[in-house]
Amino acid sequence: MITVGMDLGTQRVKAVVLKDGAVASRGQALSSFDPTKAAEQAVEEALKAAGLKLSDVSYFAATGSAMDMAPYANGTVSMMGADAKAGVYLFPKARTIVDVGAEEARAVKCNEKGIMVDFVVNERCAAGAGAFIEAMARALEVKLEDLGQLALKAERASPINASCVIFGESDVVSLIHRQESKPEIARAVFDAMADRISSMVHRLGVNPDVVLVGGVAKDVGFIDSLNRKLGLTVSIPQYPDYAGALGAALTAASRAKGAQK
Amino acid sequence: MMNEPVEKRYMPEVSRKEIDELKTTMKAASQKVMAENIERMKKADPKRPEAMKYFDEISNLFGKRQEEIAAEKAKGKKVIGYMCLFAPTELILAADAIPVRVNSGWYDTSKLGDRVVPVEVCPVIRSTIGAKMIELSPFMEQSDALISVLTCDGMTKLGEILSDYKTIWGMNVPRIKDSTQSLRFWNDEIKQMKNQIETFTGNKITRNKLKEAIELSHRATKAFRRLQELRKGSPVIMGRDAMLVNQTFLWDDKLRWTQKTEALCDELEKRAQRKDWVCSPDTPRVMITGTPMFWPDNWKLPTLVEESNPQGIIVADEQCSGERILNDPVGVDEWSMDDMLNAIGERYLMASTCPCFTSKDGNEDRINWLLNKVKDWKVQGVVYYVVRGCMLYAMEYTRVKKALDKINVPVYYLDTEYTREDVGQMKTRVEAFLEMLTARVDM
Repeated sequence: MITVGMDLGTQRVKAVVLKDGAVASRGQALSSFDPTKAAEQAVEEALKAAGLKLSDVSYFAATGSAMDMAPYANGTVSMMGADAKAGVYLFPKARTIVDVGAEEARAVKCNEKGIMVDFVVNERCAAGAGAFIEAMARALEVKLEDLGQLALKAERASPINASCVIFGESDVVSLIHRQESKPEIARAVFDAMADRISSMVHRLGVNPDVVLVGGVAKDVGFIDSLNRKLGLTVSIPQYPDYAGALGAALTAASRAKGAQK
Repeated sequence: MMNEPVEKRYMPEVSRKEIDELKTTMKAASQKVMAENIERMKKADPKRPEAMKYFDEISNLFGKRQEEIAAEKAKGKKVIGYMCLFAPTELILAADAIPVRVNSGWYDTSKLGDRVVPVEVCPVIRSTIGAKMIELSPFMEQSDALISVLTCDGMTKLGEILSDYKTIWGMNVPRIKDSTQSLRFWNDEIKQMKNQIETFTGNKITRNKLKEAIELSHRATKAFRRLQELRKGSPVIMGRDAMLVNQTFLWDDKLRWTQKTEALCDELEKRAQRKDWVCSPDTPRVMITGTPMFWPDNWKLPTLVEESNPQGIIVADEQCSGERILNDPVGVDEWSMDDMLNAIGERYLMASTCPCFTSKDGNEDRINWLLNKVKDWKVQGVVYYVVRGCMLYAMEYTRVKKALDKINVPVYYLDTEYTREDVGQMKTRVEAFLEMLTARVDM
């Protein structure tokens, strides 16, 4: 059976093709102004990679902030529900999934079946999400992908109290004026973000098996800070940015199976 | 006493032209929101009870009710507004005056409140200040005096700020209930208020008048409880409809409201007999607690819950804009003046679950209310609704969550503002929460 999960995120649309319970292929496109079209592109790319056609797909499920705009969708699943499914599929022992995307961060608690039992979302503020790193990289005149490596070189931490991107940026400017080194400032940025995320996780109740997914899970600087703040080593899948789409594809598979019965 | 103070201590000068322009725009916007809310409520239940028509009409803040009050005022009646539920409305009624609650549920006016207080302040307060600034609320404008009860910080200063326009009567509520001097102190406040109302209105509150007012309250509470009883079973009324009925009590004529609610219950009882549910009996049953949600703009959350996919149905709330208005009767033993006044005092203080209270056991009454509601109304999930700046509700969340965790009932902390901009983000969360409740039902 073939199912497709689409994750219509704020920056990118991701698609995962699932064939008999295993990932067959992935595809993505920039969301831009037309998430529907972007999703079509992502799905096309993924199906092509798997050598499949639209008509081969039994069920399409959509998630992500623009899920209502998804093409082909037979159903939707919340982003938190998708995170839980994907997290437990990838790491069967996982009970807490942290998803940090461009504009939103969330922590989901789930049971052994991948059904969420509780969740927290960052409180309408970008300081705990990828957009914050982007803004800070700009302020430091560093490429986004280099900021993480830079932070790892820091010898000590300079705390900043980022309650929002705007204040965070002015905090970073004062660090620049104090002539702190770039690595230290970069680490301060990740630490501030990890602080916010770890307090979210603590509100759910910590659990040693934490999975980190979402686009920001590719950032070594953030991973390092989060591990330190949580006092554990988070598990990260090979394709963390596809977790939402994977969760949707898994949901699609169980719904399609349910319909067959 | 009736004149505005010469110098305003808080409020900025706003030109007549600006007041008129803003009032026209915001009133038009509000009328649109009210109409849209009601349209959506009608759509949610194609077999919506006939009796709801009355509440739809009375919910129009610029409609029939304010015209009636204007006519009563023209005949010499006084209007006494209030911001907190602690205001003893029986005393107002017994003095032949009209009680109305005047808190603003308008998002637009909160931006005007920002001219007076910082954005960190609770938007209910900012919005009420803004509404006064441009004279948007008919009930506020019609109020000859306002009872300001010192509950949360916002309410405490709101009364002070509004004293730039209105005669304010402060009521000092003790924050620890379970001590003998607290009730004594509060009962003195009630007696003081009786004298104040009598002097102001020129009407003596006689034993008979007060007995009548309390009996009217009893009848209203009985009608309200009958409606709530109907919400215990499989759903025969959308939560939004019941919430609107509850809230209109704050400004409607009390006797007529009671009769209309009784008529609504007659209809709903028949509906229950026919097993004609408003939605599937499997629909997750939701309770809302937290910051008051004033009509009309704050219908945002109830609308999201009941129009979400998967859908939820609101079966109960613990809010001072909802069930707390009428939940508790004034318990009188002897119909002597003293006994009645003490009974009023006791009802308003002891029965309140406002988060302004604490004691050696914390705000135990609120926790017990929530746990009892969950049990009796078979609540499957609780949405803990807090607007930014609403400190007391925000701070009590952790305790409530622990109490609900113990009985394995999920609770979601939903924070928002007086804005429509975050509906998309709220929808994501509400849908995820309902998806979770649905999954638990299936497990």
